Amino acid sequence: MKSFWRGQESWVPSWSVAVRVPVVVAFLMLAISVMVSNRVLNRLEDTQERNLRELSSAYLDGLSASLIPSVVREDVWEVFDTLDRSRERYRGLNVQWAAVTNSDNRTIAASSPDEFPPLEALPADTVAMFSARQEVLLDESGMQARMMRSLIYQDREIGRIYAVADISALMQERSDTLRELILTNVALTLLLVAFGYYFMRKMLKPVGLLSGYLARSKEGSMSSIPDDVLDREGREFRELFTRYNAMTEAVNEREMLAAELAEEEKLASVGRLASGMAHEINNPLGGMFNALDSLKKYGAREEVRVTSIRLLEQGLSGIRELVRSTLTTYRSDQRPRDLTATDLDDLRLLVKPEARERKLRLDWQIDLEVPVQVPAVPVRDAILNLLLNACHSSQEGGLVGLRAVVQDSKFIAEVSDGGVGLPPHVREYLERKGAGASPLDRRSGLGLWIVKRHCDELNARLEVARSNGNGTTIRLIVPLAGEMEHAA
Amino acid sequence: MPNMNNHVGPRQQSQSSRRQLLGLAAGLALPLPRSAVASDGPLKFGLTPVFLNNDIELLSKLKDYLSRQTGRDVQLVQRRTYEEITTLLLSGQLTAAWICGYPLVQYPDQLTLLAVPLWNGQPLYSSYLIVSAGRQAGSIEDLRGDLHAFSDPNSNSGYLVTAALFAERGLRPEQFFRQTIFTYGHRNVVRAVASGLAQSGSVDGYVWEVMASLEPALTSKTVVIHRSELLGFPPVACLSRQAKDGDVLIMQRALFAMAGDAGGREVLKLLRLDGFAEEPTSLFDPIAAKMRLVRSLTL
Repeated sequence: MKSFWRGQESWVPSWSVAVRVPVVVAFLMLAISVMVSNRVLNRLEDTQERNLRELSSAYLDGLSASLIPSVVREDVWEVFDTLDRSRERYRGLNVQWAAVTNSDNRTIAASSPDEFPPLEALPADTVAMFSARQEVLLDESGMQARMMRSLIYQDREIGRIYAVADISALMQERSDTLRELILTNVALTLLLVAFGYYFMRKMLKPVGLLSGYLARSKEGSMSSIPDDVLDREGREFRELFTRYNAMTEAVNEREMLAAELAEEEKLASVGRLASGMAHEINNPLGGMFNALDSLKKYGAREEVRVTSIRLLEQGLSGIRELVRSTLTTYRSDQRPRDLTATDLDDLRLLVKPEARERKLRLDWQIDLEVPVQVPAVPVRDAILNLLLNACHSSQEGGLVGLRAVVQDSKFIAEVSDGGVGLPPHVREYLERKGAGASPLDRRSGLGLWIVKRHCDELNARLEVARSNGNGTTIRLIVPLAGEMEHAA
Repeated sequence: MPNMNNHVGPRQQSQSSRRQLLGLAAGLALPLPRSAVASDGPLKFGLTPVFLNNDIELLSKLKDYLSRQTGRDVQLVQRRTYEEITTLLLSGQLTAAWICGYPLVQYPDQLTLLAVPLWNGQPLYSSYLIVSAGRQAGSIEDLRGDLHAFSDPNSNSGYLVTAALFAERGLRPEQFFRQTIFTYGHRNVVRAVASGLAQSGSVDGYVWEVMASLEPALTSKTVVIHRSELLGFPPVACLSRQAKDGDVLIMQRALFAMAGDAGGREVLKLLRLDGFAEEPTSLFDPIAAKMRLVRSLTL
């Protein structure tokens, strides 16, 4: 049964329950019909045969009693008259012909004298049709009942009665019964199948409803089933819907918490970035103040003045670059635009404070000549998070790398670190499609969650190209805008 | 019980029967002579199986009519063969009986003619030789070797006429036919021939004609290939020695009155007859001649 319904080669694997149940009902009905019809026909056959034998016996008894005196006298007319009258009296038996012979097996008279003329021997082939052992012989193919009885008078056989009855009416009754059974069963089966289909559809309606709500939850937050819908259902489905609603509440609550956490994380990372920036700005400030002091004290000296102004210019340029890239990254009023090599180069500045703190080396290989048709802001944000994560994971003095290329109509960014590799559940989280619906866990991995959310938006995917004791390489693959439209 | 006292010799009875009946017809309104006073028992009227074997309605109407007309209880006595009825009549157990011309001429001294039915206005009928329809038989000679159905060995039309036909050629029926059977009823002869049991048969012409109108499906399976000359119709007779008994006379009077009575006409209509008439015994002389011819060959 398993392979029949569920096996790959099954011919009904995709049928819905609403169809499968009526089909099972139809098969069961078919089996029952065959069994019942068989039994009914067998009983009918038995009854018909018993009735026929009883009727034949009564016919032969009646004939024998009236015929014996005439057969003793070999009275042709009396024998004929008896046979002729018996035809009317035993109409139910539908006797085709009857013949009475004397002890020499010569016909005294027959109901059809043309066929069996008086005084002539009954043809051997006719006699052979009858059984000496069986008084009534049924020939269902010939639709005949053949009767033969010896006429015994004073312990001697004085003659025989041969008779053939037409039993086609019985056969007709059987075929009529069979036809009626088939028609009734077909009608009943169709009715049950229709009822089965209707009720299964009705019963499965709540399942469809639930399925619809679950499907909608993929598009956004999960919505609860309204109370009026809930009240319409029976006990089982009301319970199920109530549990679904409870689950919806829990999931929505968790999402809300996760969003709050993400916001906190964002703020934290902004804080970190701000402190890094302060640090970056502070570094040249010392030199710049030194340069100002030198200018104040030795400004009259040409070489001191030139050097101090260059130092001030360098310091201010550094600060201006930092401010510009920060503005580029975090400006909220940006319109969607394509990614450029500069966007990725800027990331180097943004992770630099983090890298410096951990004494990490940065290796940037940006191989982009023209703007890439992917949304610049989310892609850069995703890469920034991957890079920050890489910085956190790397051991002191390690190497953090970014490689970006366009290959096969896809933008590929590879972020590598020199850490100890990813735990399996993190790797699974990164690679699982649609995992961006919720964070990895409540306390960690919010950066990765942001990456996953961007991936879902961009229809992008993550691949863990390498993850071992020597480090990890995560590959972000984003289809180009034209490809996305094509794919859509 | 019939009155046994008024004994008249057979010959004398035979000769005087016509005169007696005429006298009776003339003096219907007169009181019966003392010797002719009716007895108290039921009147017994014998019937040979002429053609009305199954006609319960006819028997019932005939009985009603006779009872009403005679004012007496009437019993209709039926037997399978002519011989049985003739024997009952000869032994004085019947008041009168509707027999055949052949028994009448067999016992001219014991039996007296009471009345003769009129068919098509005549007291005459004939015997038919019939064969199965569709059979190519143009003459009597074609019937040689047949299984032939007779009605009754004491029937004029159902045996004697055909036996006389062969006697004229010096043959007995059993010498001409392969086998002969007696069906003890004219209707049965028609059935035997129609079914093919017998290839030919001798039947009462009156019975065949009446059957042709009542049961055309049966008679249409037979064809008449020979009709005999007209002979005296099967008569009603009584024992000669009882011919003057009151019981016999009231029975005779009832028969003659049948055509003038509504109930009687119903009976006659069923029988397809016109009435009963007084006829001379000589009407049956041709039958007596046939009997003598047949006897001359067999005895």
